Amino acid sequence: MKLTNDHINYIIKDLNNRGIVAEGIQEELIDHVCSAVENEISNGKNFVEAYQEILKSFGHTSGLREAQKQTLLFENQKTKIMLKNYLTIAWRNLRKQGIYSFINIVGLATGVAACMVIVLFIIDELSYDKFNTKANRIYRVNNEIKFGGNHMTMAYSPAPFAHSLQQDYPEIEATVRFRTLGSYLVKTSAGKESIKERKVTWTDSTFFKIFSVKVLEGNPNTALKAPASIAISKSMAEKYFPAKSALGETLILDNKYNGKVTAVFEDIPATSHFHFDILIAMVGDWPVAKEAQSTVYLSNNFQTYLLLKEGVDPKGLEAKLPGFLKKYVGPQVAQILGGEFTMEKFKASGNKYETTLTPLLDIHLHSDLQGEFEPNGSITYVYLFSTIAIFILAIACINFMNLSTARSSNRAKEVGVRKVMGSLRSHLVRQFLMESTLVTIFSFLLAIGLCFLFLPVFNNLSLKQLQLPVESPNFYLILFISSLLIGLMAGLYPSFFLSAFKPVDVLKGQVSRGMKSGTIRSTLVVFQFVISIALIVGAITVNRQLNYIQNKKLGFAKDQVIVVHDGYALRPNVQSFKNEISKISSIESVTVSGFLPVEGADSWRNDNTFWKQGNQPTTENLVSLQNWTADFDYIKTLGMKIKLGRDFSIQFPSDSSAVVLNEKGIQQFELGNDPIGKKISTFDGQLPDGSPDPSKVKYWTVIGVVEDFHFSSMKEGIHPLGVFPGKSDGSVILRFNAGSTEQVIESIEKIWKQLAPSQPFQYSFLDEDFGRMYAAEQRLSKIFFVFAGLAIIIACLGLFALTAFTAEQRTKEIGIRKVLGASVSSIVVLLSKEFGKLLIIAFVIAAPLAWFGVDWWLKSYTYKTEIGVMVYLFAGVITFVIAWLTMGYQSIRAASSDPVKSLRSE
Amino acid sequence: MTHSSELLKGTLQTIVLKVLKDYGKTYGYEITQRVKALSDGSIALTEGALYPTLHKLEAEGFLKTEKIIVGKRVRKYYMLTLLGKSEAKDRVSEFIDFMRTMGAVLQVEINRQ
Repeated sequence: MKLTNDHINYIIKDLNNRGIVAEGIQEELIDHVCSAVENEISNGKNFVEAYQEILKSFGHTSGLREAQKQTLLFENQKTKIMLKNYLTIAWRNLRKQGIYSFINIVGLATGVAACMVIVLFIIDELSYDKFNTKANRIYRVNNEIKFGGNHMTMAYSPAPFAHSLQQDYPEIEATVRFRTLGSYLVKTSAGKESIKERKVTWTDSTFFKIFSVKVLEGNPNTALKAPASIAISKSMAEKYFPAKSALGETLILDNKYNGKVTAVFEDIPATSHFHFDILIAMVGDWPVAKEAQSTVYLSNNFQTYLLLKEGVDPKGLEAKLPGFLKKYVGPQVAQILGGEFTMEKFKASGNKYETTLTPLLDIHLHSDLQGEFEPNGSITYVYLFSTIAIFILAIACINFMNLSTARSSNRAKEVGVRKVMGSLRSHLVRQFLMESTLVTIFSFLLAIGLCFLFLPVFNNLSLKQLQLPVESPNFYLILFISSLLIGLMAGLYPSFFLSAFKPVDVLKGQVSRGMKSGTIRSTLVVFQFVISIALIVGAITVNRQLNYIQNKKLGFAKDQVIVVHDGYALRPNVQSFKNEISKISSIESVTVSGFLPVEGADSWRNDNTFWKQGNQPTTENLVSLQNWTADFDYIKTLGMKIKLGRDFSIQFPSDSSAVVLNEKGIQQFELGNDPIGKKISTFDGQLPDGSPDPSKVKYWTVIGVVEDFHFSSMKEGIHPLGVFPGKSDGSVILRFNAGSTEQVIESIEKIWKQLAPSQPFQYSFLDEDFGRMYAAEQRLSKIFFVFAGLAIIIACLGLFALTAFTAEQRTKEIGIRKVLGASVSSIVVLLSKEFGKLLIIAFVIAAPLAWFGVDWWLKSYTYKTEIGVMVYLFAGVITFVIAWLTMGYQSIRAASSDPVKSLRSE
Repeated sequence: MTHSSELLKGTLQTIVLKVLKDYGKTYGYEITQRVKALSDGSIALTEGALYPTLHKLEAEGFLKTEKIIVGKRVRKYYMLTLLGKSEAKDRVSEFIDFMRTMGAVLQVEINRQ
């Protein structure tokens, strides 16, 4: 029979009274007892008898409880449940300490995100040129020449180098040369308007054999072999020949070279040290092709790359190169300078001629020579950024550890109670590690989000196209492992520290007092501030150096100058263009010259050897001189200062064979204090093979001395330079009045369109061109600033939480002090004093470290700013102020709180 | 006559698994009744041993459960999972082997049904 509700209620209540309460077993036992009672009743017993019978079979209360206990034991022994328990406790703790958890997670996430971005940046920098399958065997030939007041380290070689090297050394499998000459004006045979293309080079047909650039159309083996053939990138093909095959089509370069497309290649990857769009074959009778066939070893214009055979030791080949120079270069020099010349003598008089090899994979990060295709990266910055990444991560981890240990004193009682209840030490360690790992996992998730958000900003800043490798499983694996590692590292100390408490001491209240200031914690805070101060000093230094360079007296006036590019496009109207724009009222002065006092694709360079008239052209007397051709208005327009003598003038017909030298030039020629009227000589005319003809010499009369001006990066000094009158129509340079920029450009463009209707009008401002020379540095310094700032913010975040915590710990103390008459300010001082001390220690440690770092970085500049004591003090004060502001808020809040509140309840 | 609980201890899991295998969905009290009937009353499972065993088997993944509300009571049914079914078979054959060994050790003949 069925039991009535009353009976069932009675059983439920009775069992409850007997202590059967555990979830999961209670219901089951009730059902069991009820079923059994029902069964007994159907055997003829009444309810009371039946119930007693069943209880007896269970072994009464103790039997019931035993069943319950056994079941519970099984359940609780399961690690899954313990893990769940740890997780619950961890979660509750995080929520209870909301603000600290927030600071912990956000601080760590910011640090990790910054680190991720930097790591992506570094990986990108390290991956340059790796797309070349033969990368390990490709080497670039460099030449270092020190002679005649010039010291050049170049990525250029003489034209015949490649051929002779391959002929003499069987180790070399193939060679390729490049000759770059700035930008070209490009149009199709049907097109009317030319477009300016910057990424154009002349090269040998072996290009595709050596570099792993994929050819999409055409045959890589035959492309570029025939004269007047060119190869273009896919994006060029799409630009000039949309919706059809570019193969066999013609492109007209600079209005004179008709190139037939023999190959279309895939755009060269971003991580390459060159990004050419148009390759022109260096065969045939176009001027550059002719130059490439020259046998003269005296002019260095070709970037030469070697592909070595498998297993060849590049050092062994390099060791043979002095012999190579002696064999080929020596005789040619001797021919010009007279028979007495030998390489040995040349070197003995302090000169240098050395040929070296740079591995392809080292070019991007380790090479900064004359003749690099593009500004390269720098290993210095890779190191610098790696250091910052490690610093930021360290600061974030330290925050995390500090907050965990500091807060843990609040949990000493929890530890005590747990131990009394039978927790083993290993349980507690596990629990604390679980908590810290949970926080790091949260932080990493947040960090990925932050990374997504800020990577575009960073890309903008660094001009890179970095992306999170979201598709790679390794990425997640690495993230997961590092989050576990950081979680374990950060949690290890607090967990072992806490779990070592003796429950008796803790519960008596003897431990938590001693926890307020730990030596380890102070050390870590000091470490954080050492990093912060050093980073601030670094950031200020970089900023000051760049400002110094930009504002250094250059020797010419870079403002209010417009450079109209590609003057030769105006031919034959260059002179009339100059005359026309000179008439514009707001234009002060105009000059035509390809030579600009800044470095860049549109600025030409040319150097030649000269000697003082009367001397013999021997090694000791030769001066390697920048030989700039310009019209008579050059010095005036660019605002250079004539120190001695006079500028060019049309009133002196003899000025066609005059020269204006810079001070450095006067010094090199040893012209003394009265150089005006003295003459310098140079070879004029060539032998049939292209080398200078020793019998033809030309003279130039010095009419003026121009003050030294900087015409290349500040990393280099000023070299001897002469301005020679002549035609050089690379650019038209004009100086205009302030305030009418747009109008000036508009009117110049109008005149250009009249004189050269189908040519692109391109211009730039000289001050911007100048700034562009330092663009890479500017970018890097900005990035440096951002990360240094980030590091400081994270450090302060930690300090903020730490002060908040200390203040909280000392609420009662503060209350009592206030009751006894302490003022708010004295309490603020009391709270800040401890951290103040740490900051001073940090400053003392950071200053010399920063000094070493700054000194090392500035070494690469010839002209460097002074970093005085003030910078260090400033950095120290800034850190102190920021830290004090973060602490001050907490201190003042604690100090001005009502003592009644903190003292009322115990 | 009832068997000593010492003897039963090692076979409890086998008994529970086999009962569940033969009768399907069963609840705690029903299991005790089945065993009682099968053994002619000579094996009385104690509840104190049964429930921990059931919970343990469930935790190991051999059993799954289903709760059904019967009037005012909640009844928890146990049944074998796929894993439990093969385990039940293994345990029974293991026990038969054991009996055979025991027969040899104790020098007695054991009837095989």
